[in-house]
Amino acid sequence: MTRTLNLNDIQGNVTRAYGRYSFPFARYIFFHFPTPLAGRGFIETVRQKVTTAARWPDKASRPKCTTNIALTFPGLLALQLPVRTLQAMPDEFIEGMKQRAFILGDRDQTETEEEAKAQDWDSHWDPIWRKSREPGTLGFGKDDVHVMVTLNAQSESEDAPDTPHAELEARTSWLLGVAEDCGVTHIQGVGAKGDQPYQDASAVFDDVGGTLRPTAKEHFGFTDGIGNPVFEGQLPLEIEADAVIGRGKLMGNGWEPLATGEFILGHPDESQELPPMSRPPEFMRNGTFFAFRKLHENVGSFDAVVNEEAERYAAIMDVPVDEAIETIRAKMCGRWSDGVPLSKVPTYAEWIAFGEAKGWRGDVDPLAAYAANLKYIASPEARDFRYADDMAGLKCPGGAHMRRMNTRDYLDPLNAAGVSDSGAQPENAKATSALNKRRRILRRGLPYGPPNTAHKDDETEQGVIMIIMGASLFRQFEFVQQQWIQYGLDFHQGNNTCPMLGNHEEHKRFTIPSDPKSGKPPYVMSKLKTFVECRGGDYFFAPSMTSLRMMAMGIVDPT
Amino acid sequence: MPDLDSGHIFLTTMAPIKPGAPADNPQSSYEQRVRIALAKFPTANQSPATVDDRYNSPFARNLRNHLARMFVLNDAIYNGRITQNPLLARLQGNNQAVPQPVDRLNAAYLVFCADVDAIENDGDPLPTTLSEGQQKAVRASYARKLWATMEEELRDVYSNCYGFEGVNSAGDFATYLDRCHVETTMPFHDYYLELDSAKFNDLPVKPLAIGVLAPLALGLVALVLWLLGAEHVPLLGWSTLPTWIVAIALGVVLSYLAIRYAIANGEKPLAPAKYDDLPSVLKALYTQQKFADFFIENQGLPPDQLHAAFGAFMAEHDPQNRQAMTQKPGVISSAGPENVTLKDAAPT
Repeated sequence: MTRTLNLNDIQGNVTRAYGRYSFPFARYIFFHFPTPLAGRGFIETVRQKVTTAARWPDKASRPKCTTNIALTFPGLLALQLPVRTLQAMPDEFIEGMKQRAFILGDRDQTETEEEAKAQDWDSHWDPIWRKSREPGTLGFGKDDVHVMVTLNAQSESEDAPDTPHAELEARTSWLLGVAEDCGVTHIQGVGAKGDQPYQDASAVFDDVGGTLRPTAKEHFGFTDGIGNPVFEGQLPLEIEADAVIGRGKLMGNGWEPLATGEFILGHPDESQELPPMSRPPEFMRNGTFFAFRKLHENVGSFDAVVNEEAERYAAIMDVPVDEAIETIRAKMCGRWSDGVPLSKVPTYAEWIAFGEAKGWRGDVDPLAAYAANLKYIASPEARDFRYADDMAGLKCPGGAHMRRMNTRDYLDPLNAAGVSDSGAQPENAKATSALNKRRRILRRGLPYGPPNTAHKDDETEQGVIMIIMGASLFRQFEFVQQQWIQYGLDFHQGNNTCPMLGNHEEHKRFTIPSDPKSGKPPYVMSKLKTFVECRGGDYFFAPSMTSLRMMAMGIVDPT
Repeated sequence: MPDLDSGHIFLTTMAPIKPGAPADNPQSSYEQRVRIALAKFPTANQSPATVDDRYNSPFARNLRNHLARMFVLNDAIYNGRITQNPLLARLQGNNQAVPQPVDRLNAAYLVFCADVDAIENDGDPLPTTLSEGQQKAVRASYARKLWATMEEELRDVYSNCYGFEGVNSAGDFATYLDRCHVETTMPFHDYYLELDSAKFNDLPVKPLAIGVLAPLALGLVALVLWLLGAEHVPLLGWSTLPTWIVAIALGVVLSYLAIRYAIANGEKPLAPAKYDDLPSVLKALYTQQKFADFFIENQGLPPDQLHAAFGAFMAEHDPQNRQAMTQKPGVISSAGPENVTLKDAAPT
């Protein structure tokens, strides 16, 4: 039986991605609690403005600016929560993200901790994250980030889509005022130089028919954020059936939503268990964890490497360089730049024809093309595919970014593999997502950096603010990051890391299998550089409204 | 015979650790001394902290080990009382307030497990079956190999174990380890390279089921007819009384034999995979790495140049030769020349 979730008790950023079209702007503001009293006062005031997961009856009832709040482990320590509550929090949450840099591949995995320290491995991190979690302070560092407040804002108006609504600025000053009144410190030092008071983010804007409009892309130019998981109770039943296609699990009954407990604590999960929680149960129920990661994108290196490899690829495959560039980019990602999945539209010629048929390529009005593409990527058609019918990766390479992040039905141990001379592969129609459904992550967050009309290279500041949510950072985010992004064995890719997100200091290769029908050999890219670098962040607990109220009242009682 | 499977010996040995401590060192019990000796074993050169280490794992000094593990087993795990339905206990007169006996080991044990090629001489092909005597000889050969390559470490560990005093040679150690040998009941092996069903001991389920069920079914029919007063089985014309007695008895005997057959079939060792011996595994790791480099360096070459380059590759890396141009045991990759057994360095 499906239990209706108490959406008024769950924070809104857990069930909603807020959306880069409806809410193309975000601001992340960080604070430190000098005393438990100050912290409690701050939480008490802010919680009354928190946007919950309650559904909006219509478009007009959407807030102009949303507010959400989350705490680090040092934040919970600073609130002086009971030891019995604190000691049962998950290890990785207690340690924090910087301490996990080795397993996450955020620092060179061929170096020992001492060697990495001697080289000041985190020197490229934003000052705020370099100073937070000061070593030797046991979670009581004076510059520790304790709490993060997230604001997501709509555009000012339809005529000014690239201007944030005035409510964003108003909510920011209100928040800074609350902090000052409560005696809570606003922690700054965001950006490479540490000169930004908070982390701003926005959709990547591009010139569409003379106006800057929010796109669905990140700064490398890929369409992003299409396949977020769907879980039970998240969406109204009338839209769940469509929404779950390509975003749920396959267990023999078509697409079904994932268990609530994979993403919200206090509910049964995919192993038919309740996720482990601290006492008292109300403290963690309806809450969740997330990793906040500032991921810098080396746009210059990415373009240079792709262009260099494309020259060679074009010569070997006997195709024009333009086609080679588009093909290599798509093979690295798993989708063509406009979001069309390789698993459904595998070749360049088919892709060109597909865009024309769908109305966003060729001689079309730019605004109509923009709208047609957005409509497509929001549709089930863009998500409804499997990998078990392409075990050899002839359509979408086994090591492609998307196949690593969400393996769908590829890892079913009963899948048959093999390729006939004609390029046919087993259908594996009964394959399930059994080894995938405990490793799903909710992706929230937005890109940061200038619009596409500006110059971008490795030195300019652009990237993605990744917020990766789940009931267990260890089992979900850290597993995907360590085993699927920074390692390749599950995909028969040996030590090769994700071609886009992986650390490529040591392992610089990516194999693009070739359809035997083409008569061409596979192509191996061998000059990958580290295109995406972590620039800081931490692990956060996003409490329920009940939990926030308990913390504010100082009555978290584990007995 | 689960000790032998897929051409490997899955060795389990348990050596009891002496009670107490040496008279001159009461702070270090023998159990403590075993743990110290184990903690001092170098690990393989496979992590950033150990990759440049002078010392590799002592188990990397032979070419038979796929996996080896030594650990101290303190005691049997206590799972708590064996519970019983209170009503049943009452009826049977079991007083559940009385503590049950607890199973304990008579001493702490040093457990040594290993997955090794089931051969007596390096380079021998892996066998599918071995008699008890042959298995014993394989174990003894492995023990002698260990003594020859890591006597110092073995003495450090085993000198704290009961009955080791008289061990002074490879032969003594082989005898000692055999006294400690216990049967492995659940071997765990890596995957088959080829999923060829002929290599698996598939149970002929259908013929077995028909063989067992046919006489039982006939017996049941005859029994029902006999109870209904019929004297003969229709079509067959046999008397119902002897038919049901003989058929059911036959069914029971056949069931017993079928179960015995199924168990015996399950106990039969699987055949080794094609390249399952350690030298082949190491050569495969080496070749895979070198071939990936070759592929990248030469992709897109015209056929004649590619042919020439591949000839040079074959000559240099000699894929058929498992003794030379291969990765050394206990290292993470073949990238550094120090991790490769070169041709002139190979034993002749």
